[in-house]
Amino acid sequence: MDLALQLLATGLVVGSLYALCAIGWGLIYGTTLHFHVAHGAVFALAAYYAYVAQTWLRLPLAVAVLVAIVASAVSGLLIDLLLYQQLERRGAFRTSIFIASLGLLILLENVLAIVFTPDPMRMDIGALNTAVIIGPVFLTYLHILTVALALAGYGALMLFLKRSRWGQAIRAVSSAPEMARTVGIDLRRVHLLTYAVGSALAAPAGILVAMDVGAEPFRGTRFVLLASVGVIMGGIGSIPGAMLGGLFLGLLENLGIWKLPSEWQSAISFGVFLVFIVLRPRGFFGRTIHSAEI
Amino acid sequence: MLAYIAHYLVMVGIYTILATSLNLLVGYSGIFSLAHAAIYGIGAYASALAALQLGLGFWGGLLVAAVVGAFAAALVAIPSLRVAGDYYIVASFGLQVVILTVFINWTSLTNGHAGLPGIPRPRVFGLVVDDPFKYVVLSLALAALTYLVCRRLTASAFGRTLRAVREDEIAAAATGKNVVAVKIAITTISSALGALAGSLYAHYITYINPTSFSLDESIFITSLVILGGTERLAGPLVGSLILLAVPEALKFLAIPDTVAAPMRQILYGALLIVFMFVRPEGILGRARPRRAA
Amino acid sequence: MTVQGVSRAFGGIQAVEACTFEVAPRLITGLIGPNGAGKTTVFNLITGFLRADGGSIRFKGEELLGLAPHEVEARGVVRTFQHLRLWGKMTVLENVLLGCRTPLGESVVSLFLRPARVREEEATARRRALEVLEFFGLAGRAHELAEDLAYPEQKLLSMARIFATDAEVFLLDEPTSGLDADSLQRIVPMVRRLVEHGKTVLLIEHNMELIAQLSDEVVFLHQGRVMARGRAEQITRDPALTEIYFGV
Repeated sequence: MDLALQLLATGLVVGSLYALCAIGWGLIYGTTLHFHVAHGAVFALAAYYAYVAQTWLRLPLAVAVLVAIVASAVSGLLIDLLLYQQLERRGAFRTSIFIASLGLLILLENVLAIVFTPDPMRMDIGALNTAVIIGPVFLTYLHILTVALALAGYGALMLFLKRSRWGQAIRAVSSAPEMARTVGIDLRRVHLLTYAVGSALAAPAGILVAMDVGAEPFRGTRFVLLASVGVIMGGIGSIPGAMLGGLFLGLLENLGIWKLPSEWQSAISFGVFLVFIVLRPRGFFGRTIHSAEI
Repeated sequence: MLAYIAHYLVMVGIYTILATSLNLLVGYSGIFSLAHAAIYGIGAYASALAALQLGLGFWGGLLVAAVVGAFAAALVAIPSLRVAGDYYIVASFGLQVVILTVFINWTSLTNGHAGLPGIPRPRVFGLVVDDPFKYVVLSLALAALTYLVCRRLTASAFGRTLRAVREDEIAAAATGKNVVAVKIAITTISSALGALAGSLYAHYITYINPTSFSLDESIFITSLVILGGTERLAGPLVGSLILLAVPEALKFLAIPDTVAAPMRQILYGALLIVFMFVRPEGILGRARPRRAA
Repeated sequence: MTVQGVSRAFGGIQAVEACTFEVAPRLITGLIGPNGAGKTTVFNLITGFLRADGGSIRFKGEELLGLAPHEVEARGVVRTFQHLRLWGKMTVLENVLLGCRTPLGESVVSLFLRPARVREEEATARRRALEVLEFFGLAGRAHELAEDLAYPEQKLLSMARIFATDAEVFLLDEPTSGLDADSLQRIVPMVRRLVEHGKTVLLIEHNMELIAQLSDEVVFLHQGRVMARGRAEQITRDPALTEIYFGV
């Protein structure tokens, strides 16, 4: 039972990380329909931005984190501006955009591997490493901060989408791009904004992981994959769904190892995913993107 | 030197089979799969185990490989292709990860990281194929066979349907094509062929372990397809000839090993991006014909 | 074909409601109504691209509701698209060939086990495709890419494609939109010829004059409901309907 509680807590923490990646990725996918696997590269970059800001530029931790988030938002925006939009201008198929995104992910991860080596680059997080013991559960302040940031990020995103004009523009493009265009919304600007926001949400996840176990070049691939699974399970086009999907995956992975060997973690998540799309392709809250949608 | 070239040619044969079969999916049908390395691995392990544990010969191994590979792909394809192509990207990504996990952790079957050594050489028509030169013949023969099979598929009404589904599947459905069935069929065939390559590989190197079948390998095979061109069946051959020569070229530049591996990946990544811009149809692709004046 | 009580909602919006009408055989029935009335939605519902929430669509004693698009086509009901959806990167001939019946060529098993029969089938299909192209006046363009055709010819090609399927009921979605007077002269007679060939046509059209000219019967749709049905002259002369149509 003690173990179960610990796994539950860890599951919540990991789930929060997946959730942050998922809501960002889901926002981007729902709005642009780009299968943006390079989101994983932004995740990885964010970690290194924070590391560099703290270790080379000697900025205080909080400032380093902020700088890293902004840099990540810009990175995501540039990926859309310089890669995807350029391809779209040349009339590329969606598959081509995905392939380019995949190429970029591989390229950036390996550049990071050469520059920083594949070993984890640890950060100095001072007080955040302090342990917190709640009953049988062992956590650090960092872990609690992770969950808090995920909730805060989610709240901020929902507020932004509901209340601000730009947020509403994003929602319009997300649900009916042609109609949005006819009422004068500049799709390209909205896409750029979406990428900036989505990347700004992935950044804390990458940074928090780096703060916990160090920045690594290849971790992003797994996170973006799980983010996309979370989004599909939560329902495409639904931010609350993506949030839930991410949390659910984190919990699933960790509770799964209560009874099954830990190496089978990923197998569990994917097994569940496959069963899920057979039974409920729409996900918790979303609309299925049926190929036959005219 | 000659043995070295023979080795290169055997690998070109194997990778041509892999790239041709992946091209059926990505190039012809517009279905993107990240699991081809896993299928390759399934073929290798299935064939190796069939030989080591069941004493099956080469042809038996090929058959087992094809069947198991097709089955694994169908398992994932059937639920996800019913929905939309993007679901299959995620599902194939997942399949790749899960299968690799199985290779590494189901140690009682696969020996995990230690791998399976001592895979017997093939016996073909009474001859044991035990030196690289004989293997070149076998490898290129199987590659040619794969080519012929794919050609039959693509130059037919089935191939025409595939292209139509790729370009506009709604129009295809309205014209009476069972889009889902077609996609599942091609995925299954593509995987059966990819698994064959695995079998060929296993009996050649006579030792397999999980590291040969990772996501990086899937990316590499994808690069072969993109480089050579998705529209011509010879594209994968060209892609293989070029990209398999690259690691050798890099060796000449005396780059340390720790950097060489990521550099290759950077090359593949850059290749994918550049080709999407400059020549999405690949080196051998048919350029768009000009409008009649 | 009988459409009975068919309805479909999207989110909170009822796009089609209690839609009931009949499409009489070997006649041209016009489906008209202001923009957003739900006409294309009805087409999507009949051909299985959208699933109706309720109701029934019967053709020759069979229920079409709930079938997938290719199954609806197999039962003899086909449609064109407002945005054509031709396979631009394939040739004109290939576009029509895809409409022809080639079950053996499309079966992987037959491809490898019965090559002679497959060859025969393909040859027959090619002959038929060329005949269809003749019928539509496109034979000279057979080997050009569909995307290289002029717009009126593309419209003809979209009709040729479904004609090759040997279907009985043709749902034409705005076959004359975007055409100038000259091009209209090419399309309009083709629609008549379809009926002369024994086909049944249901067409969505905005041009009231054309409707009056072409249709034998008319169904007027507004906000997803059938407002009126009857002979063309009656409907097009009805002042109340004209008011709705022009949105006064």
